[in-house]
Amino acid sequence: MSVFTRHRPPASAPAPVPEPAGARGADGPVGGRPDGSGPARRRIAARRARPVPGTRIPLGMRGPVAVSLLPGLVLFGTFFLVPFLVLTATAFARWSGLDFAWSGLDNYRQMLADPVFFKALVNTLFYAAASVFVQVPLGVAVGMVLALRPRGWKTLRTIIFVPFVISGAAYALVFSMFYNPRAGLLNNVLGGLGLPGRDWLFDTATARWAVAGTFVFIIGFVVVLVMAEVASIPREVYEAASVDGASTWQQLTRITLPLLRNVIGTAILIRLLVDIGMFDLVFILTAGGPDDATATLALYAYRAYLNGEWGFANAVGSVIIVIGLVLIVTVRRVFRIGERAL
Amino acid sequence: MSDIGSTTAGRRSVWANILIYGFLGAVVLLALAPTVWVMLSSFKTGNQIFSGEGLWPSPFTMQGFVDAFTQIHLHEYMLNTLLYAGLGTLGALTTAFLAAYPLARFSFAGRPALVAMFSLALALPLVGLATPVFFVVRELGLYDSRLGMVIFYAALQFPFTFVVLRAFLVSTPPELEEAAMIDGAGYFTTLFRVVLPLTRPALATVAVVAFVNIWNEFFFANLLLVSEENRNVQLVLAGFKSQFGFNVTGAVAGATLVMLVPICLFLVLQRQVIAGLTAGAVK
Repeated sequence: MSVFTRHRPPASAPAPVPEPAGARGADGPVGGRPDGSGPARRRIAARRARPVPGTRIPLGMRGPVAVSLLPGLVLFGTFFLVPFLVLTATAFARWSGLDFAWSGLDNYRQMLADPVFFKALVNTLFYAAASVFVQVPLGVAVGMVLALRPRGWKTLRTIIFVPFVISGAAYALVFSMFYNPRAGLLNNVLGGLGLPGRDWLFDTATARWAVAGTFVFIIGFVVVLVMAEVASIPREVYEAASVDGASTWQQLTRITLPLLRNVIGTAILIRLLVDIGMFDLVFILTAGGPDDATATLALYAYRAYLNGEWGFANAVGSVIIVIGLVLIVTVRRVFRIGERAL
Repeated sequence: MSDIGSTTAGRRSVWANILIYGFLGAVVLLALAPTVWVMLSSFKTGNQIFSGEGLWPSPFTMQGFVDAFTQIHLHEYMLNTLLYAGLGTLGALTTAFLAAYPLARFSFAGRPALVAMFSLALALPLVGLATPVFFVVRELGLYDSRLGMVIFYAALQFPFTFVVLRAFLVSTPPELEEAAMIDGAGYFTTLFRVVLPLTRPALATVAVVAFVNIWNEFFFANLLLVSEENRNVQLVLAGFKSQFGFNVTGAVAGATLVMLVPICLFLVLQRQVIAGLTAGAVK
């Protein structure tokens, strides 16, 4: 039950993970559908199983069940829950790791008085906008086109997915070379076309755009989500539309696109949650410069941590997490994730 | 497996095909050109890299790859990363499987809260927790330690692994386990002899994704490691940037090798990677 996808009725919650290899035709959609409903056979199997409303724990098994839960709880408690509680408490304190003094809302006041905080906030929102208005639409378009199964679609899907498994640090290195004013590919190509080059990452006019340019083409994940969703739309819908004389373009825009509402919402939500915590690329590429033109909230918090202002860093961290929570609630509502379209 | 209606490739007009392949070609170029260019550069000499001249390596050299191992000692950091990713994945899989089963099968007080909490941890931007995580890790004596990194990465991958495994178990019919329990098998016997084999495909899927996630992890490695000898490969890549002058061919070749590990895993285990990512709808 992911917060990204629709709520499923627990009684028939289907598996999001595919069955063992071979159970699905070679041409099957990649992966499980995000909401898990797959081939009918599996759906029937899932309906027969009704474990979720749940049997009570059988007599004499309470002990083993507790033992079974324990390692996960310890791990989660230690590295998520305790830090979360520490964050919540120390966001309202001056804290350097050694000295501790309650300070009420001082950290938040300091934040609101700092122009760099607003720069970091605006930059973070800029990257989020790049995701919502460029990356996700591009991914949806490519996913829809590939779902038409043009010749070579499988290979193209694989190629387009590759950037998604490359790390942020590696990507930062790639683009620090790509944007390099002297030896970078971009300026060389522009020079070949007779256009002027510039120091893209360290010019306040272009820095943010250059950073956004590194990740907006990482669309493989959206493509795969969209293709899986398209594959689940009943064929009859298109057959009926064809009979009525609808062109491919009309089918795409009038049938497919509206039915993708849920998955588009999911993709946007996932990207926004990544963007809100964006750090690696910016930290390695520009360290937030020039003149904080590329700094993000996560980087701003990290600087405070390096300065030993841990309470302040945690106040910023709390802002990041609260924005994340607000995004989860609003995006789910705006895209009505959880309601079926068909 | 519904293809979109009757619009198969054969029946599309030439213009439609030009449009489709033109669009896809442009996207592939924009998405991959910088990476492919850097990978090609790993066969170039330092002079050619600095001059930026020519797309193809000329002269062609493997010196960068030699430097990556002899001078940068990339293999040592790769071994570290392999340790973190391998054992971290194993830890996440074990703890998540043990927790996912009872939370998928039985109803008891606190179950909805636990499931919601684990799912939320998967979604929220955890960089917000940086300082407290550092604090907790330091207090536990796990700062700058290999063991600490393994444990922390197991924890970091726990929510994702849990969510996917639980969803899988929820969809699996319980008859087999019930039969085993009626026959007198205990909880753990049933779990490991009956449930585990059935869960293998889901375990394989999450294992690949968790492994790649840890292999690629930078933020917490940067926060929790300081010694040269404990670094993971991503820290080494980030270091190249600040000391770019020192051995550019080794750096470029090293970055290529570090990227190739998840890329090769993806190409070989494509089905698992994509299934795992869509299932967890992570990152």
